[in-house]
Amino acid sequence: MPVVRLELSRLAEMVGAGEERILDRLPYIGLDIESANSRSVRVEYSPNRPDLGTDYGIARALRGLLGKETGLPEFQTKPSGITVIVDRKLAKVRPYIACCVATGLDLDDEDVRQIISLQEDLHNGLGRKRKAVAVGLHDLDEISPPLSYRAVPSTFEFVPLDGEKPSSIRSILYDSYEGRTYGHVFDRSKVFPVISDSKGTVLSFPPIINGNATKVTTRTRRMFVDVTSTSQKDGDDVLAILATTLSEVGGKLGTVAISYPNKTRVTPDLAPTELPFDLDLVRSVIGLDLPRREILGCLARSRMGVRGNIALGPRYRIDLLHPVDVVEEVALGYGIDRIKPVFPPSNTPGALNEFEEFLDSVSTVMAGAGMIEMMTYELTDRKSLYDSFERPSSEKVTVQNPKSLDHSMLRDALIPCLMAALSGNVKSDYPQRVFEIGRIYTRAFDGVKEFWHLGCLVAHSQASYTEAKMYLEAVCRLLAGLEIVTKAAEHWAFSPGRCASVTAKEEGLGYIGELRPGTIDAFGVGVPASGFEIDLSKLYELLK
Amino acid sequence: MSNALHPLERRVLAALAPLGSAPFEALVAAASLNEDQVRRALQWLASKGLVSIGSSVESRLELVREPPELDLVHQVSQAPAPLTVGELRGKFDSPDEFSAAFGRARGSGWIKVDEGPAQVVRVADAAGIESLRSVVRSIAAGKAEDDMTSEEAGIVSDLLKRGLVRRVETRTTTVAVTDKGRISSSLASDAHLIDRLTPDILASGTWRGRKLRPIDVEAKAPSFFPGRRHPVRDFIREVREVYLSMGFTELQGDSVHSAFWNFDALFIPQDHPGREMQDTFYLDGLSDAALKRSGVVAKVASVHEDGWKTGSRGWGYRWRLEEARRLVLRTHNTVLSVKALSETKEREARVFAVSKVYRNENLDYKHLAEFYQMDGIMVGEGLNVRHLMGFLTEFYKKLGMAGVKLWPTYFPYTEPSLQVVGYSKAFKSWIELGGSGVFRPEVTQPLGVRVPVLAWGPGIERLMLMRFGLEDMRALYGSDLSWLRNRGELAGS
Repeated sequence: MPVVRLELSRLAEMVGAGEERILDRLPYIGLDIESANSRSVRVEYSPNRPDLGTDYGIARALRGLLGKETGLPEFQTKPSGITVIVDRKLAKVRPYIACCVATGLDLDDEDVRQIISLQEDLHNGLGRKRKAVAVGLHDLDEISPPLSYRAVPSTFEFVPLDGEKPSSIRSILYDSYEGRTYGHVFDRSKVFPVISDSKGTVLSFPPIINGNATKVTTRTRRMFVDVTSTSQKDGDDVLAILATTLSEVGGKLGTVAISYPNKTRVTPDLAPTELPFDLDLVRSVIGLDLPRREILGCLARSRMGVRGNIALGPRYRIDLLHPVDVVEEVALGYGIDRIKPVFPPSNTPGALNEFEEFLDSVSTVMAGAGMIEMMTYELTDRKSLYDSFERPSSEKVTVQNPKSLDHSMLRDALIPCLMAALSGNVKSDYPQRVFEIGRIYTRAFDGVKEFWHLGCLVAHSQASYTEAKMYLEAVCRLLAGLEIVTKAAEHWAFSPGRCASVTAKEEGLGYIGELRPGTIDAFGVGVPASGFEIDLSKLYELLK
Repeated sequence: MSNALHPLERRVLAALAPLGSAPFEALVAAASLNEDQVRRALQWLASKGLVSIGSSVESRLELVREPPELDLVHQVSQAPAPLTVGELRGKFDSPDEFSAAFGRARGSGWIKVDEGPAQVVRVADAAGIESLRSVVRSIAAGKAEDDMTSEEAGIVSDLLKRGLVRRVETRTTTVAVTDKGRISSSLASDAHLIDRLTPDILASGTWRGRKLRPIDVEAKAPSFFPGRRHPVRDFIREVREVYLSMGFTELQGDSVHSAFWNFDALFIPQDHPGREMQDTFYLDGLSDAALKRSGVVAKVASVHEDGWKTGSRGWGYRWRLEEARRLVLRTHNTVLSVKALSETKEREARVFAVSKVYRNENLDYKHLAEFYQMDGIMVGEGLNVRHLMGFLTEFYKKLGMAGVKLWPTYFPYTEPSLQVVGYSKAFKSWIELGGSGVFRPEVTQPLGVRVPVLAWGPGIERLMLMRFGLEDMRALYGSDLSWLRNRGELAGS
């Protein structure tokens, strides 16, 4: 979740309310306080609300909720007279561009910090790490319109941001941090997009890096914003958020004409988003029979407007998809903490799942037999699962890109996990008797099958096959009234000659035996161990 | 401390009583036990005041090496003809040792060297060297330090410094029976008392008129670790019973699902950071080939693209079947609720599942790759946000977490969305306990559900940490036997 840092005194001034009141209300516009000190607070905002990505945006919402300034914010735009000519060769590379101008700015350091932080969040969120959308901010005073958004070859050179001499597109892609991080968006393209002005000054090589000539500083009074994207809608959304934020900062907005080979668009379009306004839906979803006037008041506090049976959302609200989204705005404007909970009485009898009940009984019986229950991870590592048992890993089920190799493959048995658990407890008193009831996975055609197993290990100087069998017989008898049969068998977990298959009513349930010395050694457990593993789903079937 | 005696104590006391007092070694022999057993028994007996233990330290001198100057003077005096310094040096193995001995003998005035080029060595003070010799002899003979004259003591102290003589200390332990011990001993050997009740004694009736020999009822018993259920299992049991008491039916389902059911059916767009944000485990090289764009799948696909007929704008992108076919370890149990919704045509239902979810996380004190969620849904005509709030408040109260607050939040599949927060005394702040909301029409309508669905999916670990006073989630699944064996049973209830 993106985070924005708020200076409390600055925010209090923007909102026109005390710091205490603001801190109390932040959660009620959907912001989670991550950390706070006496001067500032860091809040997490939902990725669907990038308009809350600066203190200006948060202040705008808080002024509404606190009744200081309510209703739909209006945004005036005037044509800037600037045109961007789009090269048709970019259609397959990065087809869309949307721009705006903000003039009359007077930015301080914190303003610049907030805007840059919003730009980064937009890159990572809606921009999908700049792949879908990228933003460039420029000092308009350094630009000579008209501009062109054009395709250039990899030999094209310009001075990148904070650079001293010209670099080629190719060298930026291969040698710079930005190029290596974001360059893969071009795949195998032979042409690359740049935005340049009538004098040939390069503003940007989207989505990689800006040019150095048009860098924004606190001295910037007139700002030019470019948004390039792979979808027109995403680009328009991001531009709307930036433009309306710059308007809050005090900028006067100017539109830019985007001239495609076959059409011309004017951006940004900041007309409100319209959704059907359904009073009955509002009342039934919230569960409050509010009069229309009060509902309108709630919407106004959420910075929404209403025209007849149409709800109007400010253009920066990119999260409004369905009339239920209007319902939530009413609830927020009303105040979530003012809504009184009602407990819904139950008309249904309810029931526990019989197999879950069975698993719970297995736990009770095993604990009663003197065993400690373990709950280990289903995702484990190759060493404990395969290598320590000297068995091939050809049937393994692995996950893609695990963050830790300790959790990279799904277990196909519980014994390895229990052995790993014992290896972490060699300093605890022996005898150690443990069990686990857990899910295991086996490969099947192009999917996996899941089973519930019971695994059990006893480890101490006298641990033996017989002791394991004693527990196994008791468990099967107590849980299912079954007498089990053990027949000499081979299994990767157990020593040859000290291993048997377990069957009941001629149904194979699992295996029992003494652990191989090599395995015990591989896990660093210094005492003999024996145990068993059976399929609880099958045991349950036999019970029924 | 009880006066009852352990068998070892009885044996030692019986051996000691006739002797009155004895050195430790003699007692070990008399009791026919090993040293450790006798030592332990004596410790217990002494603490009961039945024996007294005294120890004394004796020190004696031991000759490490003869002073080399004795040998040197001896060589000089015994030589058939006078020796020169050079000849004398030749009789020593080490030139260093010769120099030291020669220097010392000459410095003490025991020998002198004639003037002149011959350098003949002669004995100068035979009596002087004799006093050193006599001290060395008496040390070898075991003469005690206390019996030495002050002159002898001076020589000894010099020899000690030079490391030619050392002091050896021996400690002797002597044990004596006390009066109380004598009485106890006679009682302990009373053959009339029964040591241990046996079936034979019971059968024969020989117990009649006899008493059991008192034992030490205050002694520590050996440690013992009863079998136990896992605390997480107990907590899950409790959650299931709370759900049952509120009229819910339990679901069970697989951990592996197609991305379709885990994400698409919940209106999570295919390129949403949510699919990364939730740090999903996708199974390597496996997919649900049976998933086709028809029926529910087709409806969900349309909802993503343009809202289908739900009244939504949709996400406005081209939905891809391949992405939906990928197999994932479920990132939330809402997938079970949604599958249940798609299968039931009931207009009223309450279902829940307490099971594992999986996230591709680096493990730390507040993140696990596998953990439990206790998801539920409530389906029914007329259900609304207030019912959701009412249910959650009551549910958490029943789980021991009174006074939860509800804050707005965001999930792609619910609107409105609320998160439950509870106050943590340990962290002195409000902690997120779980998300909830009313399913969006984009979720319910493709499944053919026309009535409101309230849904929630809280984790159980944070609640458990608060109960057990733990600060690290990894502790719950760390398989630490010491904790599993010794944790307080009631901490979790």
